[in-house]
Amino acid sequence: MSAERITRREMLKRLIVAPVGAAALATLPVREGSAATMQPYYDPYFVAVLWEGRTRCDSLWRSLKGDVVPVLPTVQGTTPYDRLYWTGYALGSAPVNVAMRVWARAVDHNGVPLGNGWRAIGQATIQTPPQRWFRVEIPEGHWDEYRLEVRSATPRLVYSRVIASQGYWKE
Amino acid sequence: MPVRFLRNASELADVSWETPLPVQVANAKPVPTDTLLVATLTVDTTARDLLGSTAAELPTLDNCMQYRKLVWLAHRASNTAINYTIRARATDLAGTPLGSGWQTLASGTFAADPANPNWVRLDIPTTTDGYYDQYRIEVSVASGTVALTSKIVGVR
Repeated sequence: MSAERITRREMLKRLIVAPVGAAALATLPVREGSAATMQPYYDPYFVAVLWEGRTRCDSLWRSLKGDVVPVLPTVQGTTPYDRLYWTGYALGSAPVNVAMRVWARAVDHNGVPLGNGWRAIGQATIQTPPQRWFRVEIPEGHWDEYRLEVRSATPRLVYSRVIASQGYWKE
Repeated sequence: MPVRFLRNASELADVSWETPLPVQVANAKPVPTDTLLVATLTVDTTARDLLGSTAAELPTLDNCMQYRKLVWLAHRASNTAINYTIRARATDLAGTPLGSGWQTLASGTFAADPANPNWVRLDIPTTTDGYYDQYRIEVSVASGTVALTSKIVGVR
């Protein structure tokens, strides 16, 4: 780690381009026109972490959150996202053989689902040698809620993360 | 007369290039999607748009030029085939259509599907980019009726 000696004037200049440094100060809301000059390196593509955690897989279809209640979503507020990615790692010395399926639905302005049930986005079986990473891409974006379910005949512990991308993918 | 602000709990500072007013950037991120419509319609054998209109010149959605595509998410109350027609057109600066009629972007059927009996989805347009000003989305069924609750998301 190296240190750098700078003047107070230089430090203040750097604060101008480092919003985190100014976050502790009293703030005023500004309009977008001004904001554009404050964010010269603004990137229009966003990736968000929607969920991260551990799932105990057993013979029941469980949400990544562990519940077996079909009406509950695993992730919500996913309208802006073009696609989701589920990356995981299963513990244990036996080969991984985990079934998974993905559901989606839309909600109204109050967050209430438009109707009962879910749309089946897809299902698959994740089969890898032990202690390997796996990744599932969910390309059907812009649904408001998703439920990701897993099931394994052999109980497994899966660590995983669900992220979502707002980018537009020209294909 | 200099403008001063409280820089921290005990220090006043003049506004200058070196000590600008602290601001919180609001509304800086463009909203990539907007919910344009949520509506429930009883679909029957008459082709009508999602708002229930049978007037062919009325748009279902207006001011859509900023959206690259629309995503139509819908829930049908029963596993009934629903026919749809998607039309679009452009308007002038005053919001008046450049001409009468529409360009038909797509027409097809949400077929009865045991795997997905209730939920359907359609991207508008399906492959290319949109950026049309107005859209008219018509639905009908071959016989009987079915309740259709639609949500349309505009993607910028």
